[in-house]
Amino acid sequence: MSSTGVNGGATKPRQRKATKEAVPVEQVEEVKVHSSTTGEDEPSLETLEKIFAPLLFTVLAFMTRMYKIGVSDIVTWDEAHFGKFGSHYLKREFYFDVHPPLGKMLVGLSGYLCGYNGSFEFKSGEKYPEEVNYTFMRVFNATFGALCVPIAYYTAKSLRFSTAATWLVTLMVLCENSYATISRFILLDSMLMFFTFTTFLGLAKLHTYRNQQFSKGWYFWMTFTGVNIGCVTSVKWVGMLTTALVGIYTIQELWEKFGDLRMPFTTYMKHWAVRVVCLIVIPMAIYMLSFKVHFLILENSGPGDAQMSSLFQANLKNSPLTKGPLDVAMGSKVTIKNMGYGGGLLHSHVQTYPEGSEQQQVTCYHHKDTNNDWVFIPIRTDPPYDHKGDIRYVSSGDRVRLIHDMTGRNLHTHKIAAPVTKHQWEVSCYGNDTIGDEKDNWIVEVVKDTHKDGKVHTLTSTLRFRNEPLGCYLRAANVALPQWGFKQVEVTCAPDTVVWDRFTHWNIEQHTNDRLPPADTRSYRSPFLRDFVHLNVAMMTSNNALVPDPDKRDDLASRPWQWPLLNVGLRMCGWGDESVKYYLLGNPVVVWGSTLSVVVLALLTFVYICRWRRQYKDMTGEQVEYYVYSGIYPALGWALHYFPFILMARVTYVHHYLPALYFAIMTFGFVFDYVTSTLMSGRAKKYGRPVAYLAMYAVVVGLFWEFSPISFGMTGSHEQYGYLNWLSTWTI
Amino acid sequence: MASSSVTRFSTLPLKDKAAVATITGLAMLVRLYKIWQPSSVVFDEVHFGGFATKYIKGRYFMDVHPPLAKLLITLTGWLAGFDGNFDFKDIGKDYVSAGVPYVAMRLLPGLLGVLVIPLCFLTLKAYGCSRLSASLGSLIILFDNALATQSRFILLDSPLLFFTALTAYAWINFQNQIAFTRNWYWYLLLTGLGLGATVSVKWVGLFTIAWIGVGTLIDLWDLLGDLKVTPKQYVKHFFWRSIFLIAVPVLFYVGMFVIHFTCLVNPGDGDGFMSSEFQNTLNNKGMADTPANVAVGSQITIRHLNTQGGYLHSHDHLYPGGSQQQQITLYPHKDNNNIWVIENVTESDVDYRETGPRYLRDGDWIRLKHVTTSRRLHSHDLRPPVTEADWQNEVSCYGYEGFGGDANDNFRVEIVESKTAPGKAREQVRAIETKFRLIHQMTGCALFSHKIKLPSWGFEQQEVTCAKQGTLPNSIWYIEYNEHPLLGEDADKVNYPKISFMQKFLELQKVMWDTNNGLVASHAWDSRPESWPWLRRGINFWTKDHRQVYLIGNFFTWWLSSFAIVVYGAFVVILVLRWQRGYPDYSKEAVKTYSWKVGYNVAGWALHYFPFFLMQRQLFLHHYLPAFYFAVLAFSIGFDIFCKSVMKKKALVVVTGVLLIFCTVSVFVSLSPLIYGEKWTRAECQRYRLLPHWDFDCNSFHTDLSMYDGEGGSGKSRIAEAFESAAAKLSASNSESLHEAEETPVGGGKEEVGEEYVQVFEEHDEL
Repeated sequence: MSSTGVNGGATKPRQRKATKEAVPVEQVEEVKVHSSTTGEDEPSLETLEKIFAPLLFTVLAFMTRMYKIGVSDIVTWDEAHFGKFGSHYLKREFYFDVHPPLGKMLVGLSGYLCGYNGSFEFKSGEKYPEEVNYTFMRVFNATFGALCVPIAYYTAKSLRFSTAATWLVTLMVLCENSYATISRFILLDSMLMFFTFTTFLGLAKLHTYRNQQFSKGWYFWMTFTGVNIGCVTSVKWVGMLTTALVGIYTIQELWEKFGDLRMPFTTYMKHWAVRVVCLIVIPMAIYMLSFKVHFLILENSGPGDAQMSSLFQANLKNSPLTKGPLDVAMGSKVTIKNMGYGGGLLHSHVQTYPEGSEQQQVTCYHHKDTNNDWVFIPIRTDPPYDHKGDIRYVSSGDRVRLIHDMTGRNLHTHKIAAPVTKHQWEVSCYGNDTIGDEKDNWIVEVVKDTHKDGKVHTLTSTLRFRNEPLGCYLRAANVALPQWGFKQVEVTCAPDTVVWDRFTHWNIEQHTNDRLPPADTRSYRSPFLRDFVHLNVAMMTSNNALVPDPDKRDDLASRPWQWPLLNVGLRMCGWGDESVKYYLLGNPVVVWGSTLSVVVLALLTFVYICRWRRQYKDMTGEQVEYYVYSGIYPALGWALHYFPFILMARVTYVHHYLPALYFAIMTFGFVFDYVTSTLMSGRAKKYGRPVAYLAMYAVVVGLFWEFSPISFGMTGSHEQYGYLNWLSTWTI
Repeated sequence: MASSSVTRFSTLPLKDKAAVATITGLAMLVRLYKIWQPSSVVFDEVHFGGFATKYIKGRYFMDVHPPLAKLLITLTGWLAGFDGNFDFKDIGKDYVSAGVPYVAMRLLPGLLGVLVIPLCFLTLKAYGCSRLSASLGSLIILFDNALATQSRFILLDSPLLFFTALTAYAWINFQNQIAFTRNWYWYLLLTGLGLGATVSVKWVGLFTIAWIGVGTLIDLWDLLGDLKVTPKQYVKHFFWRSIFLIAVPVLFYVGMFVIHFTCLVNPGDGDGFMSSEFQNTLNNKGMADTPANVAVGSQITIRHLNTQGGYLHSHDHLYPGGSQQQQITLYPHKDNNNIWVIENVTESDVDYRETGPRYLRDGDWIRLKHVTTSRRLHSHDLRPPVTEADWQNEVSCYGYEGFGGDANDNFRVEIVESKTAPGKAREQVRAIETKFRLIHQMTGCALFSHKIKLPSWGFEQQEVTCAKQGTLPNSIWYIEYNEHPLLGEDADKVNYPKISFMQKFLELQKVMWDTNNGLVASHAWDSRPESWPWLRRGINFWTKDHRQVYLIGNFFTWWLSSFAIVVYGAFVVILVLRWQRGYPDYSKEAVKTYSWKVGYNVAGWALHYFPFFLMQRQLFLHHYLPAFYFAVLAFSIGFDIFCKSVMKKKALVVVTGVLLIFCTVSVFVSLSPLIYGEKWTRAECQRYRLLPHWDFDCNSFHTDLSMYDGEGGSGKSRIAEAFESAAAKLSASNSESLHEAEETPVGGGKEEVGEEYVQVFEEHDEL
C-alpha cells in the first residue's frame, strides 16, 4: 500500500509554493489596476475629482443627516438609555451599563457643551424640557454619522476602486436610509459606525504601504488603525469584530514574512514589535484609559454601586458604606457581598424553592434591598445573644448563625442537590431562632485582611463561611436561577473547593450595630486594575443575561437571518398620529444589492478556486492580490460582523447589522466594478458599463428619496405612508 | 494510487489470522466475564431496558435517541423470551426474581463490544500497520475499563461504537481501492450503511458523518487537481459518493423510524410530546368525529395548540395565592372537568332552542362556563401563580350557581387566519379547523399557556395565564370536542386530518431535537468535555451489597492516547512552521505517511470531541468513547510508523510493545472490580484511587474479602436461578407474537424525560 487516496495530490501545493517563493519580491510602485470611467487621461480632472468629490459628498452627508434633526421633540428609541447615561456623567453619579464608556462619555460631552446640567431623566417618549438643547446633542451625534461618508470615499479609493465604483459605494453609504436615520439621535451607533469606518480605512491605507514598511506613512497608518481599534472597542464590544478583521490581516502578513527567507531575524522581530505595540498595546491603553476617565468622572455614589466591589463603593462619595463600625460583633446587622467578579449580595426572600427542600430561597442579588440584611447570632449551644451583655466580637474560626433579618430564618444547608449546580448542596433559609439544627451553624474563616487581629472587619476582611456539620463552603458563582428564582444568582454550599476560589469569598459590606462606635473614615484604595476587571466581568455577565423571554412577543427584536434580506424594520417611536415617526429600514437596493454581491463573490471565488485547481491561469499575481484585498477582505469583514450574531443568545435588533452592511457595500462596489470591467469586454463594456453605473446611481438616490420620510420623520397619520410597505412584514 | 488491497479476515496472512482469532477469543472471556453480575438494574438500563418493555407492549414513548440500538436490544430480549412485564423502574431493582432474560439483553451490547476489537485490528492492518502494532491497538481497546464497563450493560454506547468502528473500517478499505471496481462500490456502500446505522443509534453519529464528509471533500479536492481525471469521470465520482454517502444513510435512518412507528401502535407515556394529529393515529386515542359548527350553548373542550399541555381545565381546588379563586390549568387527559359551555355576552337571554343555533363568529364576545363547578373563566389584574411577569395576568374560575357573571368573564373570539384552514372556518368557529385567540375584554390580554408547570398544589399541571405580550403560537386555541342539543346526528362533522409517515417522522425529529436541547440541568455525575481526555472523573453506575460498578477508563491508555494527540499537534505545528521556512521535510516518506494517516484519525478524534464543547446539555464521560477509539487508532498508527522509521530494531520494537501491553493489562486488572461489580477491599480501592476526583466510594467496600463470603453463596444460587428461568422462558415464548393486545393505561401522568438519572442525595431535613 504505497499510497492511499488521501495523500494523492498533497504535494502539489507545496511545489507551487516553492516556485512562487523563487520570484524575488520587488518594490513595486502602486499600480492602478483598473481605469476609471472617463476623463482619466487628463490629470487635472482627476485632481479636481480628488478634491471636490469628497467635499461634495461631505456637504450632502451633513444635509441628509441633519435635515429636520430637531423636529421630533420627544425622547426617541434608546435615547432613553444613552441620554440618561450621558446625564450621569454630568451629575457624576456612578451607574452601570453593559457597554464600555467612551460613546456615552461623548454623549455626556455633547450635553456639557450645550450647557445641559444632567437633571432630565430621559424617560422614553417624554417631551424634552426647555433647558435641554437636544438638537445640539443630536447634531453632535449626527456629525459622526455624516463623517462616515467621506471616510467611505477614501476607503474605496485606498482599496483601488475605480472612480465610478468609489462614487457608487460613497453614494450607497450616503443614501442608506438606516444610516441616515440612526445617526440622527442620541445613540451610540453613529459613533460605533464612525470608528468602524475609520478602522477599516486604516487597514486599507496600511495595505497601500505594504511595500514601504517602516516608512513614515506606514507608521502613521499603523498607529491610526490601533487608535481606532481602541476607540471602536471602547464604544461597544462589537468593535471586537472589526479588531478581528485587522487581526486576520496582521497574522497573514506576519505569516508571509515568516516565509521570506531573506529577511533577517531582527527585522522580522521588529515587524512583530511594531504590530504588538500599535495593534495591541495602544488599543488596550485606550480602552483602559476610557475606563480610568469613567471612574474619575463618576466619583459619587449612584444607581450602579451594587455591581462593584464593596471596597470600590466605599471610595465613592456619599456612599452609605463608609458609615458603619469596623469590627463585627454578635448582633451586628450586615450585608454580605460575594467577592467573585460580578458577585452580588447574599439575599433571601419569602418565595420557596419549587423543588428540593421547598424551603425559603437564598440567592445573590445585585440591588440594594432590606432582604439583603443578615444578623450575626451565636449558635444555640452558646449563651444566647444578650443586647445588654458584653460585646462579643466575631473572630476567625468562630461558630455563628446568620439570621435573615426580614423573615427571621437561619441560613441553612443540607445534603440536597442545589437547583442548578446539582453536584453542590442547596442553601436555604429555615426555621427560626429556636427551630433548627446544627446545620444552621457556620464557621467564619478570615482568609485575608489588612488588620491582622483575627477579628472580622467590615470591608477589609475576606471571609469564607464553612458549614459546621457538612464542611462545605458558601458559594455563589454567577449561575442564574430559572424564572422562579427571578433569574437571581444561585447560592450553593460547595463540598469540594479550594481556598483561593473567589466565589467562596465574601466580605461584609454594610454594617450597623448601635453598640459599636462608627469607624474612622480612612479609605482603603481599591486598585484600578481590579475595578477595571471587575466591571468588565460584570458587563459580560449582564450582557449574557440579556436573553429574550421565549414567551414574550417582542415586536422590536429581530433574528439575524432577517437583516440581509431586509425582511424587517424597526419602529423607533410611538406610532400615533400626533408624533413624528421614524422607521429604521435600509435602502432596499443597497441592502439587497450588497447581500447579492456577497453571494456572487462567494460563487465567483469558488469557480476561480476550482479552475485554479485544474491549472487554468485566470489571473496574474497582481490581480489575485487586488481580488483578495479589495474583494475578499471586505466580504470577510461582512462575515465577521454578521455571523457572530447568529450564535449569540441575547436579544438582537436590526441596527446590529449596520456595521456589517458597510462591509457588504464595499463588497458590492468591488463586485459591481469587477463584473462590469473584468468580466465584460468589447461593446458590452464600452456602452454597458457607463449605463450600468448611471442606472445604479439613479436607483440608489431615487430609492433614498422615495423612502426619505422614514428617515426625516413622518408626520400625520401613518396610513398615508402605507405605500412604502413593499413587503408584508414591514410595518410603516 | 495504483495499489489496490482489500483488508478483510480472509485476505490476512496466516499469522495475522491467528492473532485476530486469539485476541477475539480473549476478548470474549474478558468482556463477557460474569456478565450476569450485577443481577439488578444498572444505571441507564432504567431507560433502555424500559424502552424494550414499551416496544414489546407497543406503547408509544419518546426518547432523544433514534431507534436502531433500542430495537436491537428489544429483538434480543424478545427472542430470549422477554414478555415486557418488567418496568426497569429504579437502579438496583432485582432482575432474577422477576425472571427477566437480562443476560441475553446484555449480550447484545457485550458481543458488539467484542466485535469492535477485531474491527480495530483489521482497520489498523488496512492503514498498513504491522501485526504487532495492530495487536497493540486492539488490545488497548480490549483492556479498556470504560469500554468494558459500558458494553456489559443494556446501553447504547457499545452499538454506537461498533457502528462507528465499522464505518472507519469500511472507509479505509474504500480508500485503498481503485476507482469504480467492484470492491470500491462495495466498501463505499458499507461506509454509507455504517453511517446510517451509527446515526440511527445516537445523533452523535452526525460527527462520524462529518468526519467522512471531510474525508470526501479532501478526496474530491485531490481528484479535481488530478488532470488525468476527466470532467465526466469527476461527475461520476461525485455522483456515486452522493448516492452512497448521502442517500443510503438517509434512507437507512428513515427506515428505522418506519420500524419504530410500526412497533409503537398503542398510546403510552410518550403521547404528551406529540401533536394531537399524531396522537390521533395511535390505537384507542383516535377520536370520534365531532360536529363541526360551534354555536352558543355548545359544550366544548378547548385545546392549546402550541404545547402538548392539553385541555383548558378547571377543578374544585383554589389558588393558594393571588386571588385565591379556583384554579385554571391545562390537563392532558380527557376528563369531565375539561368541558365548558359557551355563553353569549350580548344576547344572553335569547333561547336558541326557539330561534335555531346561533353559530359562533369571529369577534363574538363570549363567556365560558365550567360545567362541573358552574364557575366562569375569569381574569383580572393579578400576577399569575408561577410566572410573576408584569405583562401576564392570573386566570381563574369565578362565580357560583345562579351568578350571571361579570365583565371580567368576557372574552372575544379572534380567529387567527394564518393558522386556520381556508374557507368557512375563517369566518365562523368550527371545531378542530378554526384556530383562535381569546381576548379578555377588560385588560386586552390573550388567554395564554406555556410549558411551565404549577407546583404540587396545582398537581403539576401546566400554567394558564392571560398575556398582554405573549407570543402568538402560545396564545392559540382550538375546539376539539363539540356538542350542541340542536345539532343532530346528521350535522356536518370533522376530525383531525390524517397525517402521513413523513409528517410524523419530521414532527418526531423536531420533538427529539427540542427535548435534547432541553436537557440542560446539571447532573450529579455529569462532566464537561475538557475533563475527559485526562480522565478527571467517572460515573457511578451502581452500588449495592458492598459492591460497585463505576465507569472509569484505563488511565494508562487514556493518557497515552491523549499524549499521542498532543504529539501529533506539536508535530503539525512544527512541520508547518518549517515548511514556511522552506524546509523539505514533507518529501520524506515517513513524515508524509504520519501526517496523513495519523492526521485522518486525529481528525476523527477532533470531530467526535470538540463539538461537545458547543453543547449546553448535560454531558457524561461515556460521550468521549468514540473519540477515544480514534485516539487509540492514531496512537497505534503513530507507534507503527515510529517503530518502522526510528526504532527499526525488531527486538526493541517487540520489547516496547510487550511493555505497553503489560502496563495496559495491569492497570485494567487493578481497577477491574469496578467493572464487574466484584468483591474488593477498602484498602485496595484506596490504593488505586490515583486522582482525588475519582469519586467511587471506597467506604462502601468491606475491609476484608472474607466478609463477602456470607453473601457470595446466595449470590451464586441466584445466578443459577436466573439461568434456569431464562431458559424456561425461552422455550415457552417462542410462539408468542410481538404485539399482544394489551389494555392501554389511561391517565398515567406524563413522565419527564431526563436522560440519565441517578439518585444520589438523600433527603435529610424535615420541616
